[in-house]
Amino acid sequence: MFGSIRHKRSLVAAATLATAALTLSTLPAQAFSPHYEVGVSASTIKLGITIPLTGSAAPGYNKVPAAMSAYFNYVNDNGGVNGRKISLVVKDDAYLPTLAVAKTNDLVLKDKVFAVVGALGTANNKAVASSVNLGRRGIPSLFINTGYSGFADKAKYPTTYPLLPSYIVEAKIMGQYIKDNYAGKKLGLIYQDDDFGSDAQAGFKAAGVKFDVSVPYASGSQSAASGAAWVGKLKAAGAEVVVVFGVSSATGVALAASAALSYKAQWILGSVGGDATTLKALGVPAAILTGAQGASFLPSPGDATDEYIKQFQDINTKYNAGAVFDNNVLIAMNTAMLTVQALRAAGSNPTRAGLMAALESKGGSFASASFSPILYSSSSHVGYTGYWIGKYNSSGVMLPDGGKYTLYTTDSGAGAVNTVASKRPAMPAKGLPNN
Amino acid sequence: MHKSRSIRLLVFIVIALAAFFLSNVVDELRVFQGASLSVYIVAIASIVLLTGYSGQISLGHGALMAIGGYSAVLAHNHWKVSIPISFAIAIVSTAFFGSILGWAAARLKGPYLAGTTLALAVGLPSLANQFSVLGGEQGLAFDVGAPPKSLGSDFTQYKWYFWICALAALIIVWITQNILTSRYGRQWRAMRSAPISASLSGIHIGRSKVLAFTISSGIAGLAGAMLVMTLNLVTPSAFPLSLSFAIVTGAVLAGVTNLGGGVIGALVLVAIPDIADLLAGKMGGAEKISANLPGFITSLILIVTVLLLPNGPKLSKLVSHKTK
Amino acid sequence: MRLFSTLLIGLSSGAIYSLMALALVLVWRSTRVVNFAQAGQAIASTYIGYLVISRTDNYWLALPVALVAGALIGALVDVALIRTLNKRVKSGPAAEMAPVIVTLGLLGLIRSTVGMIWGGDLKAYKAPVTNHGFTFGTTTIPFSPYNLLIVITAVIVMAVFSIIFQKTNLGLSLRAAAFQPEIARLAGVRVDLVRTIGWAFAGGAGAVAGVLVTPSNSLSPNSLDLLLVLGFVGAVIGGLESLLGAAIGGVVLGIGLAFILEYVSTSLAFPSAFIVLILVLLIKPSGILGKKGGRGA
Repeated sequence: MFGSIRHKRSLVAAATLATAALTLSTLPAQAFSPHYEVGVSASTIKLGITIPLTGSAAPGYNKVPAAMSAYFNYVNDNGGVNGRKISLVVKDDAYLPTLAVAKTNDLVLKDKVFAVVGALGTANNKAVASSVNLGRRGIPSLFINTGYSGFADKAKYPTTYPLLPSYIVEAKIMGQYIKDNYAGKKLGLIYQDDDFGSDAQAGFKAAGVKFDVSVPYASGSQSAASGAAWVGKLKAAGAEVVVVFGVSSATGVALAASAALSYKAQWILGSVGGDATTLKALGVPAAILTGAQGASFLPSPGDATDEYIKQFQDINTKYNAGAVFDNNVLIAMNTAMLTVQALRAAGSNPTRAGLMAALESKGGSFASASFSPILYSSSSHVGYTGYWIGKYNSSGVMLPDGGKYTLYTTDSGAGAVNTVASKRPAMPAKGLPNN
Repeated sequence: MHKSRSIRLLVFIVIALAAFFLSNVVDELRVFQGASLSVYIVAIASIVLLTGYSGQISLGHGALMAIGGYSAVLAHNHWKVSIPISFAIAIVSTAFFGSILGWAAARLKGPYLAGTTLALAVGLPSLANQFSVLGGEQGLAFDVGAPPKSLGSDFTQYKWYFWICALAALIIVWITQNILTSRYGRQWRAMRSAPISASLSGIHIGRSKVLAFTISSGIAGLAGAMLVMTLNLVTPSAFPLSLSFAIVTGAVLAGVTNLGGGVIGALVLVAIPDIADLLAGKMGGAEKISANLPGFITSLILIVTVLLLPNGPKLSKLVSHKTK
Repeated sequence: MRLFSTLLIGLSSGAIYSLMALALVLVWRSTRVVNFAQAGQAIASTYIGYLVISRTDNYWLALPVALVAGALIGALVDVALIRTLNKRVKSGPAAEMAPVIVTLGLLGLIRSTVGMIWGGDLKAYKAPVTNHGFTFGTTTIPFSPYNLLIVITAVIVMAVFSIIFQKTNLGLSLRAAAFQPEIARLAGVRVDLVRTIGWAFAGGAGAVAGVLVTPSNSLSPNSLDLLLVLGFVGAVIGGLESLLGAAIGGVVLGIGLAFILEYVSTSLAFPSAFIVLILVLLIKPSGILGKKGGRGA
């Protein structure tokens, strides 16, 4: 008994000595090596994301982390970022703010990530920014996946960088398009009966569009029976042009019901619920989608003639086990590519503050698949601000009218809607940023 | 009786001191989990009082927590009241709502009561979207402010939440404990185990049940206010059905009839996701496996625990005997 | 016409709620457990049906396969889990709540298992008959041949159940075991076996509901959650004790929701289901067809 304790003691002593020796031997080296920011080592940069992987909000979004990791792995295999390999820690928040806060705490305090990238959801990001106190801790939350305009408020969310154009911007642009192209037609609107929908209504109002019939639906309640009721109302009002500003399942229900009821209208789909692959999985017949219009800030994921799409599809085949290439995968890869550029711009010894400064000074010049400019600056956290309007062809690919992309841009306030010729930076060679 | 009460008070003060000492030595992640733990302890206390004592079932206490959360935030944001006052308002307004609900609930039995409260948990948060004053899906910000300067510059926000939550939890558990050992607590127990003889001995069953529901609701309202404080936000999605289920689960794991066990139930609720994540991380595997493994493990632990310890851990039994 | 078609649409969605309600009532009667795992059992069965459809492209094969799978899963749940639960949790303060936790846990277990096997993506399969509405002259109503198929299938399932319950020895045993298990046991009924058969029937009914509802929505590990809640509302409206009550409760709920959607508000239909439930229970605490005063649970 005693023997074993003594034995242990001598072991401990030996271990202590060894550790001391090790520490001493590494001390001089450490004195010359640079001090690294949290989440950064000589060979790695650690990032984190919270997103629903399970639960009713998961379908679609659950494809994002794998696609982001696929792009990062592609970059890692081609030299990484200034020699460092990027890793992405993925946490499932089930789309609940309580879990989003708890999991972000894990990312920040346990996994000690350098930055959070692509976190999803309006309420979740609000709770996280405030409760985890990203601002005071100086932790960047890059390219968050929500269209709530409030995140651009730099005073309130100093380290949060929204990327997607706001829902208000989208509705204003759609409204302008309707006024330009469908003047005098009877207009209908299907919208979600919460902030998502009220942002849309605010945007349409700002654009001066009045709908002859508006059909609200409660989030999560959409079913075949509700689709029939919506279409019944649109039909009764004689709506000729119908905007669906809702999630995919609502868009699917509306389109399926209109097919079942032989109701013909010019459909205009919002970007949130306008992914052709998802709609197909929801059982929407191709015939009803053909000829429908939609708004998007990215090229259509099915458009293999686009240089970005082609390159991303290629990476997807090799690094993402050929997952179905839909809007979620596209947004994920695009976000990952922007992240790599931001990390490169932050320099050879990236810090959190340096990352944000680089994003604000150089973010506007980053290559991305979107036709919209990125407006990050020292005074603004607004990301994309523009949409183009296209038409779905018979294979579900959305293409611009007349084959030429026309970009509409505006702000989330009272600003006018402008038409600009779209120009975006060319895809860097092999899809590897060289900024 | 009086002596045991003063001993109990001493125990509470010791726990309080230990908690505050702990908050200074553990890391920040644990401090935040300590705040979550306090929220669960209070929520579980509301179920212990309702189910363990008055024998009524609720699968909808998440909805009552929502009422408490919204009340606290509205009061804090509109009337600029202090945190303790906003918590008190949460308790009172939820208790008021609970008294109406309790009046209805007293007429219902077993599965019907479960069904009604379940409906409430599903329906009520979605109703919040109908009123713009409640801020819709994005919710309303709830900023309790930074900790007072006098606590020092390295006193973190999370420690501040923990102190507030732990203190609120201690106070409410102390009060609840006293209610449960009072005349009312004894009436409820009599009513639950032998309703007919309780009624014969002069206990007004209906009124007694409504009272239990009212008090339980008030406690749940406080838990809701504490929850939204740790989130800095009140939103319908903070009160999903899974929250209602979680606190019932916590109460059952605690052995439903005693408050002391509530700490264990709350610990399990906070710890299970961590354990599941850890195990899932060790096992790894394809993405669809790793995404679902934590949920799988959590469910498995719940089932096994309830089958093995249907009436809570033995340790809690000791505590409950003392209060009988 | 509008009134008529709303009625028909309500009938069709109500038929599916009824099947789910039936499944819940069957289990409640025999075991005194509100089986939250029913949505899980149904989703697993529906995925098995989906597997059959994606391999053979044959809905008519998938429906019976899913039904049998659902029945087997139901029986398995009873034998492997509920019997143990009943043995271990006989009395005590948690006796009423333990089944709730166990079935909820099982729901999570099945859902994550399904997610591990099939992933979290949306799946879909087509209805075997068109979902294009019937046309009268120039008017197309929302009620389609597929809706008709749903109603007919539900009616057949319920008819088979009622024949079994009313006309066969098995039915007699099932009823006896549900209401007087001790006396039934004395009379030579193998109560445990009969109870398991009840679980199997319930599993089958839930599976049919899942397979029927999926073509109009889509399939994912959570896609039947709403059906479970609405089925439960239907069952409670019907009084939880009677199979006929479950059928009527589901249809009443379906038609009620269709009318609210059509005539009141497209956004309030969901919360109003719960308001209706609460009102029904306040006016008649034991459901429409429940016995007076209800059974003490």
